[in-house]
Amino acid sequence: MSDEIVWQIINQQFCAFKLKTTKGNNFCRNEYNVSGFCNRQSCPLANSRYATVRTSPKGTIYLYIKTIERAHMPSKWWEKIKLSQNYAEALQQIEDRLQYFPKFLLHKCKQRLTRLVQVATRMRKLAAEEDRLGEKLVPKMAPKVKHREEARERKALIAAKLERTIERELLERLRQGMYGDQPLNCSESVWKKVLHGLEKEGEGTRDKDMDEGVEDEDEEEEEEEELEEEIEDGNVEYVSDFEETDDELNDIEDWLGSDDEDDAEDDDDEDDDDDDEGDSEEDTKKKTKAGDKRKRGKVTKMKARKKKEIEVEHETDREKLLAF
Amino acid sequence: MPAGNKGKHRSGGSLSLKTSNKIVRKQLYVKQKKEQGKERHEERHRRRKEEAKDPKLREERLATNQPLTIERKRVWDDVDDDSLGVAVDVAELKRRRLEKEEAEAARVADGLPAEEEEKDDDADSMLDSDEELEDDDEDAEERMERLRQERAQRKPSIAPSTTSTNLDMTPDSLTRQFPNLFNEEPPVDPKVLVTTHLNGTIHKEAEDIAAIFPNSTYIRRSAHAYGHKYSVREIAKFAKNRGYTILMIVGEDLKKPSSLTIIHLNGEDVAPGPSLTYTIRNYLPGKALLGHGNPTNHYPELLLNGFKTPLGILAAKSMHTMFPPKPELQGRQVVTLHNQRDYIFFRRHRYVFREARATEKNVVTAEGKEMEGMQGIRAGLQEIGPRFTLKLRRVDKGIGRAGSEGEDALKWEWKAKMEKVRTRFNL
Repeated sequence: MSDEIVWQIINQQFCAFKLKTTKGNNFCRNEYNVSGFCNRQSCPLANSRYATVRTSPKGTIYLYIKTIERAHMPSKWWEKIKLSQNYAEALQQIEDRLQYFPKFLLHKCKQRLTRLVQVATRMRKLAAEEDRLGEKLVPKMAPKVKHREEARERKALIAAKLERTIERELLERLRQGMYGDQPLNCSESVWKKVLHGLEKEGEGTRDKDMDEGVEDEDEEEEEEEELEEEIEDGNVEYVSDFEETDDELNDIEDWLGSDDEDDAEDDDDEDDDDDDEGDSEEDTKKKTKAGDKRKRGKVTKMKARKKKEIEVEHETDREKLLAF
Repeated sequence: MPAGNKGKHRSGGSLSLKTSNKIVRKQLYVKQKKEQGKERHEERHRRRKEEAKDPKLREERLATNQPLTIERKRVWDDVDDDSLGVAVDVAELKRRRLEKEEAEAARVADGLPAEEEEKDDDADSMLDSDEELEDDDEDAEERMERLRQERAQRKPSIAPSTTSTNLDMTPDSLTRQFPNLFNEEPPVDPKVLVTTHLNGTIHKEAEDIAAIFPNSTYIRRSAHAYGHKYSVREIAKFAKNRGYTILMIVGEDLKKPSSLTIIHLNGEDVAPGPSLTYTIRNYLPGKALLGHGNPTNHYPELLLNGFKTPLGILAAKSMHTMFPPKPELQGRQVVTLHNQRDYIFFRRHRYVFREARATEKNVVTAEGKEMEGMQGIRAGLQEIGPRFTLKLRRVDKGIGRAGSEGEDALKWEWKAKMEKVRTRFNL
């Protein structure tokens, strides 16, 4: 009686679990529905006598039975019976339990059990295969984490200053002599320059640290030997050295007589400074050390090697500047 | 900002900005801006003059005016522990332990300075013996070895001048945990096998990645749909039988390389392991780089920068074993793995040592001082590619998750919660 009333409402008015389709065959979203269709026979709400088969989250399969005796207590509607792991035994259990139930429900429950067992088997197989292959090591990350990492990586890349660090490390290796006495990755002239620089530096550090001192002496000996060889060969280094001293003299002259010019330069450099504000402190530090003069001194040096005439002109220009 | 302060006390200016006439307001704004700029410039000008007279002032200013970067704010775990996953600077820890030992020894000797002197003497004799050796024959190898040892003994400063990783600092616990990786035996030339995940499609990328490592081969993983799918463990076994020392699995996502698993196969009758899994991000093939160079077949140099914790040392060592121990310097190729804030940037360059151009500045050290003895020398770099970023996700004892057994199968795993504190890093 009441079943009939419930079905009337579900069928003709409204049911929260009903999924209407255009094909005329409606579906049911209720978890206890044995077939998934919305019809009189398989409606778990409109039948006081009902049975279904479900899997628990852990993978155990249960038979759920609803009887008229408990129809007035919706919280105790369902009697939950654990089914055997063995498929045949489970079938037998269902048959015993649903002996006096409509044949439709018995049949549907058996069908459902079969399907669930198949699904479980397949899942187990896939999991075992995945385990065997061992492909999945890192789980997919949540979009939130992905975005966070993207931003942090971007910032880390900026902080890394990769090219500068690599260059520094390479030069450090060259300086420490990790490439050997005759490095294959370095041209002759550059290597000579390195040795020259190290020789200069060696004097400064010798008495500071005993370890280094011993080593430096060795290096210097080698360097001296090499230098001697060079002198025997063709005196190139001596000339360039002389030029450098000349430049230094020029520089000193600049220093002495260029207070006014200094200001003029400052005006130019201020713009530079504005641009470079974001630069690291390394640059600025270096700037003071090297000074503005140094840069120009080098320019003249380069020109001196290339064209002597231009150098003369240049110097006259500078004299003009100095006169200001 | 000084400019901001100045804007504040000039209250008249800001009041006049409240004019209702928009054009006037604009003009006022421009005027104010100009004034502020002018003040700033004058301040700079003045400072420059002062500092030109007295360079100390500038040094002081720069010393105090340090930008507070995340690197400077980096926090370390305050424990006397060097196991994996502890954020502790290995070099610093070693130094602390040595200091402790020395202090204890001094206490035991009840403040006898004689012992220390003896020690000093010992050191001297060591040096002497070294010297003798040098006199006998000083070839490049020995020299390098000596330098290496020297670097190992050198006391690390708080701000280390070089970023390169010192693999001699390996803590004992690491050596015990990964005896295959950190053994005393001379390193062998590695042989690398590269393959993809099942049904991989990124053959080109995987080939490019394989090409980074000398003596490597790429083999496609693809098989028939119903054929037997060889597992990583099986592949590792085959590879080991064929003399490979390292197996690399390149994973993909949306047809781009997304993960990299490096499995150390080790020599014969040693169990394979460990395997390190990284994720790849921002993969860029060499061809996509502007002005890229082409690789040659020379063995590249390896730069491992900024790996400091035990985990970092492990990752660095793992990378170290993937390249032949002796680079062919005439190729002038350098592979860089630069760790910054747990992101490992992979780059490959060709370099050339050249004289600096007139407009170029000298190279400075990490502290900002000019590198001594290297004035006027620069290294030119040309990127070869590919470039990508790695991030370490897990370290397994054996071959991945499936091939590791025991309680300590999983040595370390990245967790999202590790990144809650922005200044603590794992590598």
